[in-house]
Amino acid sequence: MPTITIFEDDLESLLTGEDGVDRGIPMAQLEEWLMLVKGELKGHNPETGELRIELQDSNRPDLWCCEGIARQIRIKQQGRLKPYAFFAETPKSPHHLIVKPGMEQVRPYVAACTAKGYRVTEKGLAQLIQTQEKLADIFGRKRKTVSIGIYQLRNITFPVTYELVKPDEVRFTPLGMETAMTLSEILMVHPKGLEYGPILAVQSLLPILRDAKAQPLSFPPIINSREIGEVRVGDDELFVEVTGTDLRMVILSLNIFAANLADRGATIEPVEVRYPTSTVLGKRVKTPQDFGKPATIRMKAIEQALGQELGETIVKQALEAYGYDVSVEKGSVKAKLPPYRHDLMHTMDVVEDVAMSRGYAKFTPVMPAQFTVGGLSAIEQLSDRSRELMVGLGFQEIISNILGSPDQYCRCMRLEGTEWGRTVEVDNVMSLSFSCLRQWMLPSLLRIEAASSRAFYPHRLFEAGDVAIPDGTHELGSRTETVIGALIAHATTHFSEIHSCLDVLCYYLGKAYSLEPMRHPSFLEGRAGRILVSGKPVGVIGEVHPEVLERWQIAMPVVAFDVNLSKLIALG
Amino acid sequence: MDISALIDSLHPLEIKVLTTLGLRPSGTALGSEQLAGAAELEASQLSMAVEWLLAKSLITVQAETVTPIVSLTKIGEEYYQTASPIERVLTAAREATGTGKRLTIPDLQSQGGLDPSDVSKAVGRLKKEGVVLIIQGGCIETTGRPSPTAEALRTLLGEMHDSPKELKSFTEAHQEVIEDFAVKRGNAKEPFRVDERVARSFMLSPDGAGAAAQLLTQGVAEEVSQLTPDLLKDGSWRQTRLRKYTISLRPPRIGTGKKHPYREFLDTVKTKLVSMGFQEMRGALVETEFWDMDALFMPQFHPARDIHDVYFVKEPSHTTAVDEPFLSRVAKVHENGAETGSAGWGYSFDVHRAKRLVLRSQGTAVSARTLAASPHIPGKYFSIARCFRYDQVDATHATDFFQVEGIVLGEDINFRTLLGLLNLFAREVAQAKEVKFLPAYFPFTEPSVEMHVRHPRLGWMELGGAGLFRSEVTLPLGVTVPVIAWGLGLDRMAMVALGIHDIRELFTDNLELIRTTRGLF
Repeated sequence: MPTITIFEDDLESLLTGEDGVDRGIPMAQLEEWLMLVKGELKGHNPETGELRIELQDSNRPDLWCCEGIARQIRIKQQGRLKPYAFFAETPKSPHHLIVKPGMEQVRPYVAACTAKGYRVTEKGLAQLIQTQEKLADIFGRKRKTVSIGIYQLRNITFPVTYELVKPDEVRFTPLGMETAMTLSEILMVHPKGLEYGPILAVQSLLPILRDAKAQPLSFPPIINSREIGEVRVGDDELFVEVTGTDLRMVILSLNIFAANLADRGATIEPVEVRYPTSTVLGKRVKTPQDFGKPATIRMKAIEQALGQELGETIVKQALEAYGYDVSVEKGSVKAKLPPYRHDLMHTMDVVEDVAMSRGYAKFTPVMPAQFTVGGLSAIEQLSDRSRELMVGLGFQEIISNILGSPDQYCRCMRLEGTEWGRTVEVDNVMSLSFSCLRQWMLPSLLRIEAASSRAFYPHRLFEAGDVAIPDGTHELGSRTETVIGALIAHATTHFSEIHSCLDVLCYYLGKAYSLEPMRHPSFLEGRAGRILVSGKPVGVIGEVHPEVLERWQIAMPVVAFDVNLSKLIALG
Repeated sequence: MDISALIDSLHPLEIKVLTTLGLRPSGTALGSEQLAGAAELEASQLSMAVEWLLAKSLITVQAETVTPIVSLTKIGEEYYQTASPIERVLTAAREATGTGKRLTIPDLQSQGGLDPSDVSKAVGRLKKEGVVLIIQGGCIETTGRPSPTAEALRTLLGEMHDSPKELKSFTEAHQEVIEDFAVKRGNAKEPFRVDERVARSFMLSPDGAGAAAQLLTQGVAEEVSQLTPDLLKDGSWRQTRLRKYTISLRPPRIGTGKKHPYREFLDTVKTKLVSMGFQEMRGALVETEFWDMDALFMPQFHPARDIHDVYFVKEPSHTTAVDEPFLSRVAKVHENGAETGSAGWGYSFDVHRAKRLVLRSQGTAVSARTLAASPHIPGKYFSIARCFRYDQVDATHATDFFQVEGIVLGEDINFRTLLGLLNLFAREVAQAKEVKFLPAYFPFTEPSVEMHVRHPRLGWMELGGAGLFRSEVTLPLGVTVPVIAWGLGLDRMAMVALGIHDIRELFTDNLELIRTTRGLF
């Protein structure tokens, strides 16, 4: 899903780890290592060392950054994750963040920590911002459920409060502006206010983070203060906060950020968030926090799913080398995800991690052995037989888009406002050229005829394929049916030429048919007919109306038929 | 060259041309018209015979002259009837000057039958010639000088009204006027058209001279070109000399009945899948979000379900009902996992959203419906389904395209049999012996695999994705055995086989291209 930009040297230094052992990996092997993170190398600039990597797994936001990719590779190289101390520690006198009542109506949750000892470099800052953006944008659904702020710690006096204020009560200078603005001004004028303001649209009171001196830190999830909330190259003491609507997602995002900063050498100090009422994690919530629970999985289930007997030792090793905390109990493994992950929904998620950690190449493919009978559906068989016959009759098969325009399917066919002119229409139209589904085949054939006046004549064209016919009695509002349409165009073509072809087709399909004169706006009156099989209409045939030809800008007589194969099948 | 054999293969028209030239003194060249006259041939017959003889090197082109011919266009004929705009403007201006009336360009433009742009052009030309002045207030006044252009036009229209003439037959001044008022690219509204008439003259080559001499001395035997039923009936073919043909010439082109090359490619894939024991599934173009996405455990907040990724149906916007018990079961699984052993997505499932009608965005929707319809166990299914994505159309994105997908159900299904199946696809569909399996992510499978293969001609390429359906997908639909879900990305293979580089060409409207594309799969 997300595509991120990272740098070779940054990745290498993050791979080194605390023991100082350089585990730099040759670029040639990078793609192989990226399998561990479901990453695909999209671009590599050898001059700048820039790497563009797409991360596929939308449930693993921890991997959407250089630190996360390096971490997953490092764990594999080291065999296990070296635990992050700050998750286990309980500081004696932590900083406090006080949540005032009323937040539950607007944006209930907040998590925060401090990070000291990592001096922000230019590249490091770009990575911090990238992670912040990807998390808030994709994981946080465009800041709706999660948004993140980073600040210079030295400017903040604790405790920080998270509360609601009136839109014009507080003013501060937001990032990207020169002067102080009220919150309502920010919503009306600031680009971020315009972009993310709708998240707070129905609120009469707005959220704000302020420190003990009442200095605004930010107006979440819109914008930070420029005075406190602008991190610059060289800063080495940071304050990070996450706000949002889902407590676990909020804490998980902070956990990821804290682990990333720790990987870059910062010392993380947790912050205690004090809620006015109890949350699922209590009234006082220390953040970051490892709130994950271990899952007990039967060895049998793992081995069955993987199709291979691995034994407890191998499974334990594989999971540990992927970051899990694992213990083995009789016939089961008790596996706990590292604190920066929260994507374990089902046993199978653990199974995949076993396979990935071992490497897919370690599993020998086995052919599924059970016997099954293959075959085509009845409609496909009928369609194939009809196509063979049309080829035998000298027709060239064509193939068309099904999504087209009302202009082609209705106006050019003189069908506007008639029973034949109804189509399945698209609601969120991007382009009128692709705004409705074809309801019959003739327009698809005329499309080719209109574009091919310079191809030598005669033209004998056909297409077999699906159409969508509006039908109020159907649960989907339309029926998808398979039809075959054919067209002949040349200077002296006439009704009986196409009639002969229909006659041959019906004969070999074993369908006795008759024609009944009909009025149809697309055909010349007196030269058009309804095709009846067992007295039921299954299609139309005729000489195409000159006005239709004019609308398509076709300067050659055209005769055509359109037979509904689904209806033929239904008739038995 | 064997002249006798050559003479036997000559067409009667060719003989006429050869002997006509052969009767003239050696080295004589005749133009097309003279030659046609002397040989008593129609122009079309002569041109056929000449082309054949040139191909056989029996005659040569002695000279080729290009003569520009001027004729009147439809507009020219109109000017001849009603006078040209410049004349009409001049007449009006003289009249105004004579009577002292004010005449402005807008006045002229509002006069019947004159195009505003013609008026501006005419006034411009007259002003340049000093025939009119534009005085204060934008009024036009004549100076009394004659207009050479107007006079030339009148003369030329009269002269050419009857018949086209050679451009060279006019004076240089008139030639300039013709050039100025001739139809050009981007300017079709002019009275004259200059066409180039190419005139060629022909003479015998040495071989042709030999053949002609022999024809003239031996005379032409009575020949018949077509063996007819009458000749067969009375046995008179025995006394008849059947002309020999020059069979090395290219034959005339004929139209043919043929399958579309892309459909042909899909047919071969279909045949292979059936031969591997797969049963075909069909589905509808319009689907509910439920079957298209919810049943596949894609959470309703998933980015791929956004208004910018899926086409929504306008009317009706929602289905009346989604089949139970599937709707309630799937809703619970999304919310809390229900009995699937999953924690679920942990959000409140919107039943109304599940009923929203969309254009099918993935072939997996067809598989989901099959799972819910008591499939065979063990069972293998496939579909070649038309799908729609909300993409800007370009060389690599089409709004509607085919997805080749399917499922395999059975007690023996696991991660290794999944890899085994993919190996089989690699061998059968892409003729690949080397395969690489990469971890992948799809919302509805776990584990998930991406398969890269080394195609004999294309090199390493991604052939498809697959995985084991999550229990969150299978259990609510009533399937208790493991299920492989697989999809093949075949468009790239098809495009290379068809020699095209733009995905839009798969659905091209160019009949000539469709007729001439050979699919080599």
